[in-house]
Amino acid sequence: MITRRYYTMSAKLSLKTLFCHLPVLLLLFFSACKNDELELVKENENISSGADFIKNNYQLSLFSAAIEKAGLYEQLNAAGPFTFLAPSDAAFNAYGIFRASDFDKMNPDSLKMLVQGHVLRQRVLLQDIPVNGIDVRYATLAGTQVYASLASNFGGDVSRPINTLYYNGALVTRKDVQLTNGTLQLLNKVMKYSRGTVQDWLNSRAEYSIFVSGLKKFGLWDKLATKGPYTVFAPTNAAFTTAGITAEIIEALKPEAYNGNRLFGGYILDERHFFISDIDILYYFGNPTIYLKELENDIWCTQLTVNRENDKTLNYGLRLKKSRTGSSFTTSIARNKDMATMDYLTDNGLVHSSPGVIARLTDARK
Amino acid sequence: MSRLRIQQLGFCLIALLLITGCSKVEYLKVDSPAYLRVFNNLNYEKTLDGKDQEVPFLAMLIDPVMDEKGMPVSTAILGDFLDQRAPYAPPYPSHVGNSTSVNNPEYPGKEDVLVAPVLNGFDLSSWAQVPSGKHRIVFMFRPKNTVPFFNLEPRLKTKVLIDTIIVLQEKEVYTLNVLQKDYQSKKNGVLLRHENFYKLPLSDSLVYVNFYNLSAKGYWEADYIEKGGNIGSKGALGDGIRDRMNVFYSLYRKTSTESMLSNYSGKYLGEIKRNTGEPDVSPYYSFPLFADPLSNGIHTNIWQRLDLLAPGMDPYSKPYSGIDKTTDNNWAPISCFSNGTVPLDYIRGDENYVLLPNMIVNIHSGIYNPRSFATVNTIEIVNGKAYLTTIQRKYAAPIYK
Repeated sequence: MITRRYYTMSAKLSLKTLFCHLPVLLLLFFSACKNDELELVKENENISSGADFIKNNYQLSLFSAAIEKAGLYEQLNAAGPFTFLAPSDAAFNAYGIFRASDFDKMNPDSLKMLVQGHVLRQRVLLQDIPVNGIDVRYATLAGTQVYASLASNFGGDVSRPINTLYYNGALVTRKDVQLTNGTLQLLNKVMKYSRGTVQDWLNSRAEYSIFVSGLKKFGLWDKLATKGPYTVFAPTNAAFTTAGITAEIIEALKPEAYNGNRLFGGYILDERHFFISDIDILYYFGNPTIYLKELENDIWCTQLTVNRENDKTLNYGLRLKKSRTGSSFTTSIARNKDMATMDYLTDNGLVHSSPGVIARLTDARK
Repeated sequence: MSRLRIQQLGFCLIALLLITGCSKVEYLKVDSPAYLRVFNNLNYEKTLDGKDQEVPFLAMLIDPVMDEKGMPVSTAILGDFLDQRAPYAPPYPSHVGNSTSVNNPEYPGKEDVLVAPVLNGFDLSSWAQVPSGKHRIVFMFRPKNTVPFFNLEPRLKTKVLIDTIIVLQEKEVYTLNVLQKDYQSKKNGVLLRHENFYKLPLSDSLVYVNFYNLSAKGYWEADYIEKGGNIGSKGALGDGIRDRMNVFYSLYRKTSTESMLSNYSGKYLGEIKRNTGEPDVSPYYSFPLFADPLSNGIHTNIWQRLDLLAPGMDPYSKPYSGIDKTTDNNWAPISCFSNGTVPLDYIRGDENYVLLPNMIVNIHSGIYNPRSFATVNTIEIVNGKAYLTTIQRKYAAPIYK
């Protein structure tokens, strides 16, 4: 009996003791879990923010200089998120800018517009652009829009991926560079946008004066200020002079003796909004690389051919075809291999500079 | 003690009954319904010329309520995300189970609405119930995204494609086609067809098919490249067919050595005329389900080949070969084989056909797996593309051993 009581007491004691020591035990229990060897995943410290990344990249030294001269360095290093559509130095070289000091010749506001026009207000990765989307528009910091066109796969076949992406006709040669405040897409061309209409664009550039006077002569000029859209292949004065069409000849020309549509109308595609890259993109959807469009009230067609070189630059050839079928052309061909002089975007269409003509006076004589 | 517990339990039970007894199930019901199925036939290709045009991705509004500016604020029936139609409209609304996209290749398609019952043996679960009578029906362009129509920004809810009135009779079956009426002027319209297959004494041992050419006026005359005739696998049909064509059919046995059934080779079936204005039902033509003498009367593996030929030609006198993609709009072959996606690689040198699914439905039914069923089919040709709609009778559920 005594023994039993002793045992009971002992049990009571041990329980009490246990409760007393519980906090200590718990403390021991938790501290035992501590493992000093544990290594957490370290964040990558090599990702920098946009403006810093561009500054530290030798391929983007001119874009970096433009950012600094435009006074946007701080803004573009801030939280964002942004998408930097960064033209490479080679792209700026083609645009006529070889060193940072060349930006000094530009109007500061234009420079700011140029830089802001190359930065989107959001992070747009390749995967964010709709599959096989054409002319998907994104807003830039300049308040303008850029047109993204993406050929995701060949003919809608998901097993044949392509992922060729253009912004305003400029090819993205390196996609989705991660930045702390967005992403960077490397362009092979400077995107060009001018406020105003196609007419304003042509009017403000003296090297197209013969083309302008020709359009005025044949009543094709006024429509270029309307809604459109228009795609204009504008021959330079040099091109016309080489083809024997000078300002004096245009001045003396009798409109009734010539077919104005054939002489000047072939350079204008009404109600079309074509970047040169569109022909390349649509080729992947089964379209031919040759585009034909009849002149107004005529069987003659403007023929646009686009070729992609091995270095992925695009060039175009423009011809005047005497009927949709067959192979009868005028003798002149306008070829442009200078990517920097294509894809001038305006508010009612696009202008592509043309170093040649497609029709001479003899082709259009009635 | 125990009595108290029993009382408590009883109280709880009564409370439970009182609470649950109040719930009322609201059954959806359409009074005096008509049955409607809608297809968006405005097919398009991605071409340079079409790049800047409005994409025909539609929202269908039946009896909409518009505000004073003509902006729709609500609608009695909404068929949203109405995409261009799929090549095959199956007998059952299986689109809903076959994709995660909101894009609807037909109405009702993926919409969760009351559907038509079995009428005269035909399962009409691909037709939606809509109230009979006179309705204003509006098709509006909508942007191609996943935002429901009434959640779109106001500026995106203004582009009307068609605004018209249709009259539906009670317990009648209708197919509404949104289509292009003129290729050059781009004029669009609708065609409401009052179907009659469920009223006809159709045999269940014959496969029926009728034809419509709902192509736009001037499509076949238009330039081949400009209309995108070469894009996609449209074969010779991509260039369009003439307004009046004859249809010939051949039946093939699908075995290791492909063979045409000798009695069913290049047989004349009927005529197909371009028609986008008259809602007439074309006559149904038929061929036997078990045309193959080697079949066991339960299952057959034959498939169908249709040749659309200009009057004066027949399958053996046509001056074109199977590799010609442009046939002067005189010939367009259609192969109804397998599920419509498996190419026929064994007919060598034959590349210009359009592929559609087999008109005969082979499916597990009763103790037979598979068992072949005769169906009622409609083939519609729209601007270089062919569409097959198959209607099947209700059949016995499969029995698994």
